[in-house]
Amino acid sequence: MTRPAEMARPAGTPRPVPVTAQWTALWLAGVFGLVLLGAFVAFPGFLPPMSPRMSAAQVAAFYRDDTAMIRFSMILFDICGVMLVPFAMVIAVQMKRMATPTTVLAYCYLSAAASGATLFALADLLWLAAAFRPARDPQLILLVNDLAWMVFTAPVGTVVVQNLCLALAVRLDAGPRPVFPRWVAPFSVVTGLAMVPAAGGAVVTSGPLAWDGAVSFWLRIAAYGVFFAGMFCVLPGAIRRQAAEEAA
Amino acid sequence: MSGAAAARTAADASGGRRRGGAVDLWICWWVLPVFYVLFGLIFVLLARVIPPPRPDRSPEEVAAFFHDHAATIRIGFAALMVVIGFTGVANGLVAHQMKRMAVSPVFAYAYIAALAVGALPGCLMAAFCFLAAVFRPGRDPHVLALLYDIGLLTFVGSLGCFTTQYLVLALAILLDRRRIFPTWMAYVCVWQIVTELLAAPVFVFKDGPLAWDGSISFYMGTVIFGIYEVCIIVLLFKAVRDQPPGEPVQD
Repeated sequence: MTRPAEMARPAGTPRPVPVTAQWTALWLAGVFGLVLLGAFVAFPGFLPPMSPRMSAAQVAAFYRDDTAMIRFSMILFDICGVMLVPFAMVIAVQMKRMATPTTVLAYCYLSAAASGATLFALADLLWLAAAFRPARDPQLILLVNDLAWMVFTAPVGTVVVQNLCLALAVRLDAGPRPVFPRWVAPFSVVTGLAMVPAAGGAVVTSGPLAWDGAVSFWLRIAAYGVFFAGMFCVLPGAIRRQAAEEAA
Repeated sequence: MSGAAAARTAADASGGRRRGGAVDLWICWWVLPVFYVLFGLIFVLLARVIPPPRPDRSPEEVAAFFHDHAATIRIGFAALMVVIGFTGVANGLVAHQMKRMAVSPVFAYAYIAALAVGALPGCLMAAFCFLAAVFRPGRDPHVLALLYDIGLLTFVGSLGCFTTQYLVLALAILLDRRRIFPTWMAYVCVWQIVTELLAAPVFVFKDGPLAWDGSISFYMGTVIFGIYEVCIIVLLFKAVRDQPPGEPVQD
């Protein structure tokens, strides 16, 4: 596969500025990442996370007593959660620049990222529905609360596969100037695999694998945060090198 | 798989670019049979949605169903939460071959988009409903019956994403002059569309051949889906094997 930098281009040909959109997407991710961090802190059920062992009456009381902050934080998630998709697409665009045998992994990454967005978009809606009528039958509020936490916690496969695809692409990037530093491959695998046990959040109600547990809640969110921060530091270099190569 | 092909695969897996297919394509290809075996184990043996339980059950019978199968539903659908991600790899590999076809990549992108969305209504909704049903004891049987209905109706009756997938794949194959996939595969896709249409009555009937566990709505569709899967895995194998190294692929 011919890399863009290796393609002959007549001198003086006007060309588009392909990296402006990537810088913009990165800024969007930075801003909305901070907004989501704020929403995370604002949700009364995250610090500490609600226990799956709460009774229906306790869960109903939670939605009745903290309705305003639940709505505020989850509407923020609703609006801003999927705003992280452009960030994933910057990674996909950079994967397509890699000197891998084909670009297939970039499209696998894109597909998994889009599936993951559907799930990210769903969990906050369930929390908002649970808070919509606090006078509803507590058993039904408990059910919607269970569903919200499951959708938020358990379906980790899309992110895991994204990270594995990224790691494999970095590993196979055989160009003289790799798009991402080599350490991104093990970094991506480790942060991806750290999220796998959170699938247990949909089945157990106590211990580290429960949705409020050290592994399913804290380790998963920390792994996602560390991965996001790591890529946020690595991507500007990759975009700068792309701009330099394409200007050459 | 022939011995020579296996040797090539092994050589590719050891790294580097060699003749007889690119290593990234081979890795993606291997995900497919592994994924579909796991998928089958999860849905047939563990989660008990294939073959589907009957739609004409009383809430008490539904409660008994969830009680009896709680352990395997938990194991199966918790595994699905991780395994489902690998559909992205399958989508990417098929889309890559569609982009090699002598046809606009609109169909390849439509294929990815339809299936990236389809994972939730077609597969994960059922998992969430069943997992919520067995998550804690003591739920009202009428609530369990609602989760049972939503789970199975979305699993068997989620039609549009997959109809779109088969339609764009069939059109791409028919319009492709390079014959990346043989023309007959387009007609296998058309049969898949027919099975999706024949699953539409599951929203109306609670027993008989057109119910969600019926011979037409479910079994015929499942048999044809099995044939489709075997065909696409074999054709992808050939396409990956025959793709010349360094072949330019449209963006």
